[in-house]
Amino acid sequence: MMNEELEQFENRLRRQSLRPIPAEWRAKIIAGAMSRVSKVESRGQKDFRLSTLVSRLSTVFWPHPKAWAGLAAIWIFIFILNFSMRDKTSVIAEKVSPPSPDVMVQLKLQQRMLAELIGANDLIDAERQKIFLPRPRSERVEILAA
Amino acid sequence: MPAEIERLYDAHAQSLYAFLLNFTRDEFDTRDLLQEIFVKLAREPKLLSGIRDERAFLIRLAHNAAIDLIRRRGTRERTKENFAENISPFAPAQNPDDEIFRNELSAALGELPEDQRAVVHLKLWGELTFEQIAAALNLSPNTAASRYRYGLDKLRERLRPLYEEMKKAE
Repeated sequence: MMNEELEQFENRLRRQSLRPIPAEWRAKIIAGAMSRVSKVESRGQKDFRLSTLVSRLSTVFWPHPKAWAGLAAIWIFIFILNFSMRDKTSVIAEKVSPPSPDVMVQLKLQQRMLAELIGANDLIDAERQKIFLPRPRSERVEILAA
Repeated sequence: MPAEIERLYDAHAQSLYAFLLNFTRDEFDTRDLLQEIFVKLAREPKLLSGIRDERAFLIRLAHNAAIDLIRRRGTRERTKENFAENISPFAPAQNPDDEIFRNELSAALGELPEDQRAVVHLKLWGELTFEQIAAALNLSPNTAASRYRYGLDKLRERLRPLYEEMKKAE
């Protein structure tokens, strides 16, 4: 009796029809599945191309690996040498402070003496006018009066 | 390859859909899961080679995917467990009494634990044997049978007043 009741209940449940799958899903789901597969395949082709390139490079480099390694080492040495020998004068010039006025005067005097020795008088006159010797104010007044 | 996917779809999509919908109670989630399963089948054509029972195997895939989805949902969408407000796995009925019964049945199914719900669904509407259910859900046939019995008892208890009333009316 109990089992019969249970069976009836089961049968009633079984008779309840399920919601049908929307018809428009079929095309979309199948297309979606196939497109994902084609993407995976194209990625696989890219990987294949990369591996082909690697294998070709290895066929070129593999016969004499020591020679290629030596060549690479030479290039690295040249690069390091070039880097260490780079002209540093501009860097030094930036770091050095401008010469003091006294040093400038000394340089000008040396220049003039050199010019006198080689006989370039015109140059001396022109240079003389340009030379500015910083002096005490009292001496400047004397110069102006003279 | 597309022909094979089409064949699998035509043969199994309806039952997978019903099974998944009973789990998720959400059409979007069901569609995502169905798509996931067919992508897997398309990607791995050898997945079904050597499989004797395609339906049971696909139900297994669907069950695993549904469990993953429920775990992903986590506490975020625990509110979805109020199944009465979500989509029913049953088709709308023409008879109002049947419609009421289906709605109550849908809600009662939603209240079952997931493991019992899966077995009850597969036994009643998937028309699988306990051996097939056991294979699909990775259980022993005895466990499948006992889960079915517990689930059915709960449904009967829950639907008894309505069921008795309908029986009298008939």
